[in-house]
This record gives sequence, structure tokens and C-alpha cells, in this order.
Amino acid sequence: MEGGINAWKGLMAEGVPKSGMAYFSPATRPEELMALAWYLEEGSQKFYSEVAQMVEDREGKDLFQGLAAEEERHKASLLQLYREFSGATSDQGFPGSVISPGREGDVMEGGMSVRDVLKWAKRKELIDILELSLSLETHSYDLHLKMGRQVKDQRSEEVFQVLAKAEKEHLKRLSSFLEKRV
Amino acid sequence: MDILNYFKPISTWSAEKVRGFLEEKNLRDYNLVDVRTLKEYEQGHLPGAQLIPVGEVADRLSELDPNKPTIVY
Repeated sequence: MEGGINAWKGLMAEGVPKSGMAYFSPATRPEELMALAWYLEEGSQKFYSEVAQMVEDREGKDLFQGLAAEEERHKASLLQLYREFSGATSDQGFPGSVISPGREGDVMEGGMSVRDVLKWAKRKELIDILELSLSLETHSYDLHLKMGRQVKDQRSEEVFQVLAKAEKEHLKRLSSFLEKRV
Repeated sequence: MDILNYFKPISTWSAEKVRGFLEEKNLRDYNLVDVRTLKEYEQGHLPGAQLIPVGEVADRLSELDPNKPTIVY
């Protein structure tokens, strides 16, 4: 339901930036899944890094900085997977050589622009940013689960499952933190 | 193809559409899920909504009937 319970009550609420759902067909190649996942981790990493500087809450800063660092590690895992899968000894321009970045790489979970989301976040309270972050991690968790089901080789499946588990852990941490702040 | 080709819009219902749906249907015809925190739920929730905080959704999906439409807020 768009607008959440505030909309139900007839209250006007400024919505979060419009988001979509990552979509790929059964024909999508494993390298494309790795590239797509890499871009989204990069977008999340940028978002969390910037938001960590924005918020004044100390614990919130630490949480977002921690999440940014983990998204950076996820990118490294995906790059490593790509190298193993493609047999490449170098990065070979990954991920741009597989999927063009579009919007100069300014994309995050949901297909949203990192710049637009950060502009939105500047006007918002910590709780609003936490709720958006929860939405992003939910998408991310779902995406990695689907990617893990799509790939045929065991190694790729394992990597996506590990990433999915990590995103689920992010969800739990964000959720616990939100519970304390509500 | 660039990365933006890998996204499609998520369909959402307006509050009015949800209201109309709930008025027309019986509670047993759908899943209505509140994904907020317990505190927020206790402050007020949609009639008949089941609380499954978003961090717990993945582990509690079995509580929802997959054969029914699910409304989430």
C-alpha cells in the first residue's frame, strides 16, 4: 500500500523516491547477474557512506558506516566470482564491460538514483532513513536469493547465498536499531 | 543494455484502493501485513492486520497463505 498507514489516515506524506524491482529473465547470463549485483552493492555503499556523514546520532553513524564497509566487501566478492567464472586474470573492465553503467553509475537498489535519494534523505529524520534502508535491504536480500536460484554452477550459487545471508543480517540490524529509535 | 534496463516498476495500491478492497472482502480472503515495529503497531494499525516486522518477514513467510493476495504496509 502506497504511503503506508499515514496515507490510510488521510495524512499527506512525502513518499520515498520511486523505486522499481530488479528484474532479469531466465536468459540473463551469470556474468550479467554478477555485474548487476555489483552495481547495486556500489550504490548501497555510496548511500550508506553519505548517510553516515549526514546523521548526527552516533550509533546511527556507526551502523551506516559498518554497512558501507560490508557493501564494499560484497563488491570484492562479486569481482572475485567474476574472475573465477570467466577465467580472467584481470578485471577486464568489470562490471562496465558486462553491463553499461547508465547514469554514470548513479544507481542503487530499486533502480533509484543515489543522488536523488541522498537529496531526499537530507530533509528527513533518522527514522525515515532507517525505513528506506530497510526497504533497500529487503530488495537486496530478495535479489540475491533469486540470483542464487538462477545460476547453474555451485560456486556462483554459494556466493549469492552468502550475500543473501549478509543482506538478511543487515535487515535484522537495521530493524533492531529502528525498534530502539521509534 | 545498460543497468536501467534491469528494473521494472513495483505496482502499489493507493490507500483508497486498499480501503475499498478490505471493505469488499472478508478477512479470510487475504493476508494483511503490518511490517512496522511492535511499538508502531500498538499505536495503531489497520483492522485485522498481522504484525510481521520487516526484519522477520523472511523467517515468517510460512505464516502467510500464498494462495491469497497479500497487502503490505
